[in-house]
Amino acid sequence: MGKPLILVSSITYAMKGKELLAKRGISAYLERVPHLEGKTGCGYCLYVPQRTEQAVALLRQAGIHVLDVIDGEDGA
Amino acid sequence: MIYLDNAATTFPKPVSVHNAVVNALRRYGANPGRSGHAMSLQAAEEVYRCRSEIASFFHAPGAECIAFMPNCTHAVNTVLKGLLKPGDHVVTSCLEHNAVTRPLQKLTQHGVTFTEAQVVPGDNDATLNAFRKALNAKTKLIACTHASNVWGVRLPVGRIAVLGKEYGIPTMVDAAQSGGVVPIDLQEDPIDYLCLAGHKSLYGPMGTGVLIATAGGKELDTLIEGGTGTNSISYLQPDMMPDRFESGTPNMPGIAGLRAGLGFVRQKGVERIARHEFALIQRLYGRLSTMPQVILYMPKPDPRYFVPLLSFNIKGKGSEEVARRLNALGFAVRAGLHCAPAAHKFCGTLETGAVRVCPSAFTTQWEIDAFANAVEKIKGI
Repeated sequence: MGKPLILVSSITYAMKGKELLAKRGISAYLERVPHLEGKTGCGYCLYVPQRTEQAVALLRQAGIHVLDVIDGEDGA
Repeated sequence: MIYLDNAATTFPKPVSVHNAVVNALRRYGANPGRSGHAMSLQAAEEVYRCRSEIASFFHAPGAECIAFMPNCTHAVNTVLKGLLKPGDHVVTSCLEHNAVTRPLQKLTQHGVTFTEAQVVPGDNDATLNAFRKALNAKTKLIACTHASNVWGVRLPVGRIAVLGKEYGIPTMVDAAQSGGVVPIDLQEDPIDYLCLAGHKSLYGPMGTGVLIATAGGKELDTLIEGGTGTNSISYLQPDMMPDRFESGTPNMPGIAGLRAGLGFVRQKGVERIARHEFALIQRLYGRLSTMPQVILYMPKPDPRYFVPLLSFNIKGKGSEEVARRLNALGFAVRAGLHCAPAAHKFCGTLETGAVRVCPSAFTTQWEIDAFANAVEKIKGI
């Protein structure tokens, strides 16, 4: 995957997720969903360049609803 | 002007609050979380920081439990009208502000009933017992104030919430008059909905109400729906907090100011602010109680059972007249019924109203002494 983006349900959860991942040593960057996914529209996501799968698992464990993981380079 | 109307709203606000509001408008006045550009994200980050700090201050489960609202009344309405259905029963107290009483009264038109539990100032066991007795099989919510905005009487809301849990009934607390001057720990006290006025003892600007829904708020129907900045593809209102209750552009400069106000309270310490205000209100009580023409309706405010405010009357004079005279002498206080007729009924002052005095972290002993001297002067006129 070129640019893994984790789609979450709101900007609040994106920020909460970013904080949580930082505490676990995983860098995450808050970004606007780059293209309409049919799932959100006006959404925010976390770009997690490394350890993406682990990040998804950590977010889910923390009760953060992960809508999808997409490739930010597709159709951007 | 010596300002002693801090129960209505605190004044002055800390300079840090002024600066935060101006800074927000000047430096990141974009619509928070609506657009993808850097300034919009900066604004959203400021809103999130405030959410996180409120969650931490009240020991709420997380930032997502915090919804910003125009005011505490809006938060109370969100809970009452979002939760209650025809046939439901509510237990409230006899000291409620109209923020609680009026929506409850409105809901009676839709088949909701309510019972007012009698509060016994200074006897939390008796108050708790009154709440217990008021419960019935149809009770779906306990909704009460944390502290009377007229008499300062504090309700044992932690114990009331535990009582609710025993019966599987959620509790909503109107903490407009207590948030920032009484420690509230949502991990210790199982309150389901905490409604706050950011512009009172949290020292934020007006327009900064807060609803903390510790269980996530999905069970509450919405009062309004609209744009939330996320999930725009859906015609349906989001079901998760805080977006569910934050339709429309939020008051970002106000929220930035609220964060600064909260910072001020944190830095001073809730207990220290409360000690300061109690010392002042007890000093005033001491002075007023030596004046035979002054009617005091409550015992000397004890921090275990009160918040630091008091209301009084002068024999033979209307409360509005006294407040007008005090205003002419340079003192700001509030007379009348304080939007709380139930509380006035409790003390038999529904016809007369009362004069309310409430200090803040900025009030000085000199100001309180000057106020007592002014009352002394007025009562003799």
